[in-house]
Amino acid sequence: MTLRIRGLTHTYPNGTRALDNITIDISPGMFGLLGPNGAGKSSLMRTIATLQAPSAGSIEFSGIDVLKRPEALRRTLGYLPQDFGVYPRVTAESMLDHLAVLKGITNARERREVVHGLLNKVNLWEVRKKAIAGFSGGMRQRFGIAQALIGDPQLIIVDEPTAGLDPEERNRFLNLLAAIGYGVVVILSTHIVEDVAQLCRSMAILSGGRVVHQGAPDALRRELHGRVWSATIAQDALEVTRNRYTVISERLLGGKTVVHVLASDPPGAEFTSVEGSLEDVYFSTLASTRS
Amino acid sequence: MFGQVAWFELRYQLKNPVLWVTFSAFFLAGFIVMADETLQIGAAGNAYKNGPFALTLLTGNMAILAQFAVVAFVSNAVIRDWDTGFGSILYTTRIRKFDYLIGRFVGAFAASVIVLLASPLGMMIGAAMPWLDSERFGPFVLWHYIHAFMVAGLPTLFLCAALFFSLATATRSMMGSYLGLVAFLIFYVVLNGILGRPQYRELSALLEPYGIGALMQETRYWTASDRNVQLIPLSQTYLANRALWSALALSALLTAYLTFSFSRGVGRADKKLRLGAQREAPGSAQWQVTPAKKEFGSGAAFTQMLARIRFEAVHVFFSPAFIVLMGFGLFNAGGSLWLADEGPGHSTAFPITSLMAKTLIDSFTFIPIIIATYYSGELAWRDREKRIHEIMDSTPAANWTFVIPKVAALLLVLAASIAVSVVAGIVVQTLKGFHDYNVPGYLLWYALPAFFTSFCSVALAVLFQAISPNKFVGWAMMIVYLLAILVSGQMGFDHHLYLYGHYPSVPISEMNGQGHYWIGAAWFQLYWALGALLLITLACALWRRGADPRVWPRLRALPQRLAGVTRAITALLVLGFVSCGAWIFYNTNILNTYRSSVAMQRWQADMERTLLRYEHAPMPKISDVSLTVDLYPHQHRAITVGTYQMENRTSEPLHEIYLFWPQRAIIDRAEIDGGVLERDFARETPAFPFQIWRLSRPMQPGERRRIQFVTRLEYPGFRNNDVLTPINDNGTFVNDRDLTPLIGFDRSGLLRDRNIRRRQGLPADLRIPRLEDEDAQAVNYLRHDSDWVNADITVSTVADQTPIAPGYVVSDTTSSGRRTVRYRSDAPILQFFSIQSAVYATARERWGNVDLTIYYDHRHTYNIERMLRAMRASLELCSRKFSAFQFHQLRIIEFPAYWPGAQSFANTVPFAESLGFTTRFNDVEGAREADRIDITTYATAHEISHQWWGHQVIGSDQQGATMLSETFAQYSALLVMEEIYGRDQVRRFLRFELDTYLRGRNAEVVEELPLARVENQPYIHYNKGGVVMYFLRNELGEEVVNRSLARLLREFAFRGAPYPRSTDFLRILREEAGPEHDALVTDLFERITLYDARVLEASAVRSEEGRWDVTMLVEAHKRYADGKGAEAEAPLDEAFEIGVFAAEPGEGRFTSNDVIMMARQRIRSGLQKITLRVDRAPRFAGIDPYNMRIDRNSGDNVCAVQVKVGDAISKQGAFFTGISRRQRTAAR
Repeated sequence: MTLRIRGLTHTYPNGTRALDNITIDISPGMFGLLGPNGAGKSSLMRTIATLQAPSAGSIEFSGIDVLKRPEALRRTLGYLPQDFGVYPRVTAESMLDHLAVLKGITNARERREVVHGLLNKVNLWEVRKKAIAGFSGGMRQRFGIAQALIGDPQLIIVDEPTAGLDPEERNRFLNLLAAIGYGVVVILSTHIVEDVAQLCRSMAILSGGRVVHQGAPDALRRELHGRVWSATIAQDALEVTRNRYTVISERLLGGKTVVHVLASDPPGAEFTSVEGSLEDVYFSTLASTRS
Repeated sequence: MFGQVAWFELRYQLKNPVLWVTFSAFFLAGFIVMADETLQIGAAGNAYKNGPFALTLLTGNMAILAQFAVVAFVSNAVIRDWDTGFGSILYTTRIRKFDYLIGRFVGAFAASVIVLLASPLGMMIGAAMPWLDSERFGPFVLWHYIHAFMVAGLPTLFLCAALFFSLATATRSMMGSYLGLVAFLIFYVVLNGILGRPQYRELSALLEPYGIGALMQETRYWTASDRNVQLIPLSQTYLANRALWSALALSALLTAYLTFSFSRGVGRADKKLRLGAQREAPGSAQWQVTPAKKEFGSGAAFTQMLARIRFEAVHVFFSPAFIVLMGFGLFNAGGSLWLADEGPGHSTAFPITSLMAKTLIDSFTFIPIIIATYYSGELAWRDREKRIHEIMDSTPAANWTFVIPKVAALLLVLAASIAVSVVAGIVVQTLKGFHDYNVPGYLLWYALPAFFTSFCSVALAVLFQAISPNKFVGWAMMIVYLLAILVSGQMGFDHHLYLYGHYPSVPISEMNGQGHYWIGAAWFQLYWALGALLLITLACALWRRGADPRVWPRLRALPQRLAGVTRAITALLVLGFVSCGAWIFYNTNILNTYRSSVAMQRWQADMERTLLRYEHAPMPKISDVSLTVDLYPHQHRAITVGTYQMENRTSEPLHEIYLFWPQRAIIDRAEIDGGVLERDFARETPAFPFQIWRLSRPMQPGERRRIQFVTRLEYPGFRNNDVLTPINDNGTFVNDRDLTPLIGFDRSGLLRDRNIRRRQGLPADLRIPRLEDEDAQAVNYLRHDSDWVNADITVSTVADQTPIAPGYVVSDTTSSGRRTVRYRSDAPILQFFSIQSAVYATARERWGNVDLTIYYDHRHTYNIERMLRAMRASLELCSRKFSAFQFHQLRIIEFPAYWPGAQSFANTVPFAESLGFTTRFNDVEGAREADRIDITTYATAHEISHQWWGHQVIGSDQQGATMLSETFAQYSALLVMEEIYGRDQVRRFLRFELDTYLRGRNAEVVEELPLARVENQPYIHYNKGGVVMYFLRNELGEEVVNRSLARLLREFAFRGAPYPRSTDFLRILREEAGPEHDALVTDLFERITLYDARVLEASAVRSEEGRWDVTMLVEAHKRYADGKGAEAEAPLDEAFEIGVFAAEPGEGRFTSNDVIMMARQRIRSGLQKITLRVDRAPRFAGIDPYNMRIDRNSGDNVCAVQVKVGDAISKQGAFFTGISRRQRTAAR
């Protein structure tokens, strides 16, 4: 049960190349797709979720040729779009019930059990009779994951689920995500490195429509071993540092700037070697693609 | 700042593609209106298509249409900041509320003006197209366009812009302003419906929101020449109307300005209930969800479909727009239903179900189409607009489980709304005290056809939405479709095989139900239902799933998408559709001849070019007719075996005889003594129903010969258009002309409409001989090939029906399922026969030695007594005043309402159910019916009088002929009415006649003629004729008029050629009346004379001995008009009636008790003062108060009297009269 993406390319009618020859294999477990805004994450997600036909390439999931038989994939797909709305005046319970019908759970009794189970699972039981339109961002995302889980999907796609959530809600949501996804393929797209760091056993970094790096987070981090250096410098020295070194990140700390630079050898006295974080991996990858 | 905001807004709108799409649409509309010869808006008759009148009307209508664009522009101007959330940035800048709001409004309004300007631009260019008939266009005058735009365009635009801008500001929703628009339009329709009656004309002109009513009010009697040169004057009504609505618009803007606040709701999030704030128990994520079985088969799909149907239907049923649309639809239909029983000339009908069904078809059917169009867009794009489409689209539910439920839910909703409208019909019937509900009638005549139309609309609208990139394009496609259907019919593309969702009309009658007419319609309905199913299949296959809105990739993938079962279904549907189409084609084009209206016109023109040359060839005349007509009502066939005895009444030997049968019948066999068929045009191409027979032995003067023939009139299968057949299952009414050949060519069946004639390259007019042409007296106007004939007609039909023809029963037998009756005349009658057959009940009575019989449908007993009374009264009156009745029987025979008229044949009067049998006039409930006309009595009297005027004297076939029959029948009927109901009822009726005449003038196509020269123009020989004769009697006295009529009968009754002319009557009249009335006779009969008399003001002072001195300021004019309506002042010096009243004459319950004084006084042209002394307190005073004369402004003859008590002036007259009078006078 692996998702195999081969040479996936998509060009929009206006000429924008959203996906550029993407090839990835994704095995069961949580897979993180990291990238800045506009990297093509949502395009890729939508393409996998059968909502968009690519210009070229192929997608295969446990023997299903997704592009030829989208309806076959949809039977085993759970999808939480990046941004979704709801009908006015429709309650969480009735909306889930409706979606459960559409996902093929036609037996009313079974469906009720599924819906109730999911409402409890995502902790929306108390508000099941309330209109979703009145939900907070976190509640809405939890509703989103509940609907994605209907009918035990084998492939779950979660597109930027934590964007806009406050830290507490985000935490709760990540816990929820962590609880699913054993034995199924879960693709989580995000631009927040921490999400991936906390949840994923494998990941890819997407930039400009291309996969610029992929592997297990630990392995990726290890690649940077001994090459990341940190220094705290004054604001006016920033320009010089930028020009002289490959700066992968800058962070303000108490009025000064903490910079991380990438170098094989110690760059200077003010720099100390630090253990590369996933964030460093991410930023260094982006930095190298830009240059 | 203000200017900048406005300018920014305008530039923003100008960049909007929607603006340019609308601009092009209006340009095109303007262009087509001018450049398409078949369209004649505001330019009926001789009026120019680009005359100021037509331009004003067109611009006004374009402005009404432009509202749909205006509402989009102005709402967008205020809502987009709110929708995009940009408002929060903008509202916190230093911009002032006034600059922001009004600046936006002005910018958006300017954009609307630009769009509307496209239409006069299009008209200017369209009117210059080289192919146009130059006679239909006047010279180009820029000022006419500008005037029309300023008067009829701009104010409407401003009103709508202000209203909808304010509405959008207040509701902050596009939907709100669209609903406002719909509400506004329906208000307009309802207002027109309710206030459309003549008595409310003033009020509706004042209230009508677009000001067009006020403009039309001012011009309702305008003739073509007025329309072509005069700018519509800005009457006081118009200005008052505009002031009223502008005030409303400004106050709406003001309200919007006052209530608008930058701080009110910067974002929509405010509305959200903040549930997230509550504390939540952690760790619930460990819940295990029991796995459930998933199904993907057809059973599952069915469950999914039901769930979706419920989901979608609930959405529509509970959406405010639906409720509002339904409410307005019902309101509109309710108004029409309530007025459905209004008959012609202030008469009332019973609210029978066929009437209700027809009304609903006209007034409600468009509501389902709007609902289908609107909601197909809403449902198709709802998921996307609510941004839930990605979740929905990634479920395994098949495309069709999304599409079919939308269709089904819409159909559910539409069925419900149709059902509600039926209930409305039944409620109205009940409220009107009518309880013979015909529920199957509602179902078959209205509900099912309406549902079929809904189904086709839904299928097409859903397909359009499936392939369009957004719902607006989908809606636009629907509008284009509706327009295309409209236009194609006018262009001559009228086969319902390619007019989607359309089918031949099904005439309805209570007597005959839907007859056999439903069969053809049903085949077309099946055909289009299959077509609609195909569209739905296509919509399923092309359904948008996912992010890509483009239709081409889906179209390219269509073959794959139509796989498996879908392919099989599609194939079956295509097969069904094609075979159904083939069967229809076989019926309409092979069993029957299909000609589009344009092809038909071409054929008629060709016939004229080929055959008109034979018109004046000398022919023998028929002296004896013997016909055996076998009717097969259920097979819609008649076989006629006939014999004519002919006589050569010319002084030359005849060598040729022509047979002509312009109607539908086919001559199976013909035989003329000593004749050989020389040329048969029916066998040539193109075929015409004309044969030339050569007489081997010429027919000598005075010689008699026989012609025998067998004809067949049949209607096999069904037809595409022209569906009505005279032979019906129950209610056959066929004329002998439909069954038998004519001898010699005549003009029936040639083109009449002069625009069509011109387009076909024929001379514009085919006029009848002038009054001075004495040769024309050789023939009467009914037919040229006979004078008075002996008739022997045998009719057979199915056994349960009664066959009827003119003449007395000789034998009546029934054998082997058929009833045969032989009718024979005992003295010569005109060769003008009706053949009828239906299941009849009878009512019989005797008047002297005359048998009176009414043959009627057993359900229509309402007016039998009334008709018998009218028969007796008419026979009595006419035989007393004019001459003896020539027959000893008289029959009225009901026929279906397919044609709402009656016709008088010798002792036989076919009468439409809707004209006499289902009309309602209640003598007992006098109060409610005070201003109603008993049309049954009136029409009966008119038709019975034709036994004299038509069947005793008949005019020659030239100008003025119909005056001798129709005008005199009208006069006799007025006398009968007066005898039964008194003068008030007759005056009320004449007011209506006067109005009809004056309106008829402006629709005149050729030329208005004086009464004595009338060329079969109904508005002259009926409407003007009645008014003229009644006035003549008033001036000359009844004795003189009746004596003249009786003399006409004495001189000409039952005579053959030379037939009498209108001048023969005028000669007698002048002799009887004396030379002092010469001028009057000339004015009434030989000229088009129009009076304009009015009271400018009237006041009264109480004299010492307790009486009242009434002083009136009167202005009077007399004008002569020419055939085009151009008027010339004529000196006036005539005696007028002057009256003083206690109530307004002709209004409400005015009776003779309200007459305080009537006097005759000589009136001259211009202003003059008249003083009268009366005994009672006067309230109204008038000149020619009963409108005896033809007066173009009959409403200003009477004026409220201001009573002066000492110094104070109290206006005793009704408030309303005062207002309307002032408006009328100022409007001149």
